[in-house]
Amino acid sequence: MDSPLQSEALFMAGPVPIMPAVVVTWAIMAVLVLGAILLKRRLALAPSKAQAAAELLVGTVDGQIRAVTGAAPEPYRAFVGTLFLYILVANWSSLIPGVTPPTATMETPAALAAMVFLSIIFFGIRKGGLRGFLRGFALPNPVMIPLNILESVTRSFSMFVRLFGNVVSGVFVIAIVGSLAALVVPIPLMVLDLLTGAVQAYIFAILSMVFITSAVEKGAAKPEES
Amino acid sequence: MSFDLWTLGFQAINVLLLVWLLHRFFWKPVAATIAARQADVATLLQGAEAKRSEAEGALAEIEAIRAGLAAERDALLAETRKEAEAARSAVMASARAEAETLKSAARVDRMQAAEALKASARQDAERLALVIAGQLVARLDAASTDAAFLGWLAEGLTGLSDADRRSLAGATPEIVSATPKDGAAQEGIAKIVATALGQPVTLTFRADPALIAGYELHSPHVTLRNSWAADLARIAASLAASDAAVSDAA
Repeated sequence: MDSPLQSEALFMAGPVPIMPAVVVTWAIMAVLVLGAILLKRRLALAPSKAQAAAELLVGTVDGQIRAVTGAAPEPYRAFVGTLFLYILVANWSSLIPGVTPPTATMETPAALAAMVFLSIIFFGIRKGGLRGFLRGFALPNPVMIPLNILESVTRSFSMFVRLFGNVVSGVFVIAIVGSLAALVVPIPLMVLDLLTGAVQAYIFAILSMVFITSAVEKGAAKPEES
Repeated sequence: MSFDLWTLGFQAINVLLLVWLLHRFFWKPVAATIAARQADVATLLQGAEAKRSEAEGALAEIEAIRAGLAAERDALLAETRKEAEAARSAVMASARAEAETLKSAARVDRMQAAEALKASARQDAERLALVIAGQLVARLDAASTDAAFLGWLAEGLTGLSDADRRSLAGATPEIVSATPKDGAAQEGIAKIVATALGQPVTLTFRADPALIAGYELHSPHVTLRNSWAADLARIAASLAASDAAVSDAA
């Protein structure tokens, strides 16, 4: 068995290696975007089953954002919702034989965590300005600045590690069990992997929202309040 | 374990691109559809609320109209009842008056009929009395009857006042008898009259069977009735006066 931690380039685009995770991500993107385009064409006030499911997803994401931020969900919906949707589909792509989920390679969770890290900075600056955002690092007092900077990095890093660890552990387990008893036995583990994938997608999206909200609130806080 | 920065970059770009694409083709349109439906539902609810308010207003209006109708009906009933009562009273009064009039007219008619009947009966009785008297007289002795009536004529003349006697003396009185009198009888009558008046009087004689029996003296100023017919007429007049007194008393 090849180690899931090792990945070979599918092909080279000049000097650039194109890894399987990138190709699978492109496939996921194609499926999601094409599905979205098809759905958009059929949107109506009297919804079809697919539209009802899509509206349920949008409503749930909006509800979670409202529950975490207490604010209108529009500014965060696309980013947080897309993170959830992509991670969910990427995790569940392990059910397709021969496909390794992109989230089982270190680059994809790292890229996602990097996006969250950058989005925290983006939303924080957009809400409170650069001064407000930087002032947030001095809360509750300037002594905490190094720790706050470290925390902002480590929490994104922890998201990366958590997602990667959970998904790759599932892939490991299924691969090991599959190598021992390839028929039927891995199925319960695959079902468990589905649950783990959904939970990890939810956790990643919610934590992203929590961290963004924290930055936004700290950036918007006035000095005397702090 | 390897970590490829190219892949990291690709995946970061892929995620950003996916965020943008899904924002454009999924999140925004679906959220807009939800908002449109919510707005549509809100509009429908507002419309329904407006319709409900309108219906409640119409219901209240109908209730008011119904209450007004009830009041109007009661008023109309009361007015109609009053009018009917007035009409009934008027009809009753009119009927009572008419009945009273009819009753009065009937009473008058009855009285008139009774009077007419009485008069007719009286006339019949007079005629019967005359017939009976005539038949009775026919059975009596004519001479005795004549003598009796001549005696009564003399008594009547004797009872006249002096002024009546003087007027008779200056006139030519007419002696009316039931049967024609011959010359001797006329002389005897003239003698009795002269004796009763105390002076001779020129008389004329005429016969009238209607007297039945007896003698009457007629002059321009004095009339002396002394006959069965006059007696019967007097009796009839007395009875009529008595009946009139009884009727007036009733």
